[in-house]
Amino acid sequence: MQCGPRRMSVMTDVHRRFLQLLMTHGVLEEQDVKRLQKHCYKVHDCSAPVEKLEDFINNINSVLESLYIEVKKGVTEDDGRPIYALVNLATTSVSKMASDFAENELDLFRKALELIVDSESGFASSTNILNLVDQLKGKKMKKKEAEQVLQKFVQSKWLTEKDGEFTLHSRAILEMEQHIYETYRDSVKTCSICHSLLIQGQSCETCGIRMHLPCVAKYFRSSSEPRCPHCSDYWPHEIPEVFNPDKERESSTSKPNKTSSRSRQH
Amino acid sequence: MSEQNKALGDPSFAAETSPASPGVPMEAPLPAAPLADAPSHHVSTMDAGQPLQQPQALSDEGDAKALQQPAEEDQAVCTVQAQPGLAPPAPAQLVQKAHELMWYVLVKDQKKMVIWFPDMVRDVIGSYKKWCRSILRRTSLILTRVFGLHLRLINLHTMEFSLVKALQQEELDRVALNNRMPMTGLLMMILSLIYVKGRGARESAVWNVLRILGLQPWKKHPTFGEVRRLITEGFVQQKYLKYQRVPHVEPPEYEFFWGSRARHEITKMQIMEFLARVFKKDPQAWPSRYREALEEATALREAELTAHSARSSISED
Repeated sequence: MQCGPRRMSVMTDVHRRFLQLLMTHGVLEEQDVKRLQKHCYKVHDCSAPVEKLEDFINNINSVLESLYIEVKKGVTEDDGRPIYALVNLATTSVSKMASDFAENELDLFRKALELIVDSESGFASSTNILNLVDQLKGKKMKKKEAEQVLQKFVQSKWLTEKDGEFTLHSRAILEMEQHIYETYRDSVKTCSICHSLLIQGQSCETCGIRMHLPCVAKYFRSSSEPRCPHCSDYWPHEIPEVFNPDKERESSTSKPNKTSSRSRQH
Repeated sequence: MSEQNKALGDPSFAAETSPASPGVPMEAPLPAAPLADAPSHHVSTMDAGQPLQQPQALSDEGDAKALQQPAEEDQAVCTVQAQPGLAPPAPAQLVQKAHELMWYVLVKDQKKMVIWFPDMVRDVIGSYKKWCRSILRRTSLILTRVFGLHLRLINLHTMEFSLVKALQQEELDRVALNNRMPMTGLLMMILSLIYVKGRGARESAVWNVLRILGLQPWKKHPTFGEVRRLITEGFVQQKYLKYQRVPHVEPPEYEFFWGSRARHEITKMQIMEFLARVFKKDPQAWPSRYREALEEATALREAELTAHSARSSISED
């Protein structure tokens, strides 16, 4: 075993329960993760103080490192919500999903992924994806069937759908970030602020740089006249309102827009 | 799930009316004990048909020869193929395979899919099939140490595995994430009904109870969705329930039994505790059932002790 006894001693039933439940849920929002952590302490070790989440997770990750898995933190692209998922770092290709899907289904996903990465908006229309059905490897798939497969992807949290268009689920971005960088090296987009993978975002119409919606919100937070950080031209888009954990904690009443974005959550 | 004790009036449920239990339609836990083996030796359960427990070193230099011994006819899960001259792989490769298998099993379990040994071989182990025993052993070990889960062979004949929690069963209590697992309550209700009846529960009886809780077969429920589908398909697919046609009955009727996974994950004592909570009674209000639960608990403890002593006599890695 590559995990030495020293590191193993970090793993207690608190951590094990946490990992079990995190795995069960697939992907979780930060506040749910915190609640989960507290629950695990309550169940297994009431006396111990609840460790700060970041440290708690870093400790777990030090054990998981040799197994090539990780509790990874990400941010939802549409509303800046912090999320966590247990991801596998070893397999970098779509074969991650291989055990769940047939060859032609995996290929459909690859085609959809390519369209999404190439697109300007980060969304691929259902029509465009379905038109590629004839090019799929493996057993022939009809469009009707493909529609259902796309829904399967949505249910498994690999894709999300909005108004008949598909984009990557935040969980998929967490898991496949590396694979997407490697596979679509030339067409992949990055955010100029946080420098990570960008699927959906806003772009400067003059110089073409891109930013995630939450990154835009943070960057232009207190400016009355938003300007592109690269070419200083006026930023042509509406500055979005995104999730702010501090605001959420302060307000006792739930905000209407928060509720609506929540109901959009998967 | 709120406990509406006053309403649960199905007579065979609320109090014990059935006579001293006729054979309960589940296999007694004891015969299953050799399969439901203690933690880190699940691979040894596959030797159920084989003569000796061979001390397993995790590096396979010496193992390759031992594994070439012919396996029992149909029992051994890892049948060895005659491949003379196939050099054993580097230990690092076996370790990697074990990690891949660990993830594979976790994902399958997450999606509530069956963990089937032939699938494991086809999808992960591949050409390392000859060393599957050591791979599986390492995977089991990691799962126990890191996740607190046991990879258990629950059915030798169908070669199905299941991931079982090694930690205290917490699903019966309120779950951290705002009761987002009400399914457990629903399942426990049905399992309890079956247990109290002492035999299969007819679908009609199950619905009598569920209707009182506001669940109807053909109506979509805000929390459970399509309840009938959940209990006749969902729970069945996850092996918590068995849904079978009652023989020789026209028009056709169906009944529910405990599934193999329920038998492994849920103890009779937990059912008694559930009943006690729901009906606000002492578990001994169902005397013969309570006795059975006690017997099972004793048997499980003994099995655990036996396995524990067996474990200590086999060399560990």
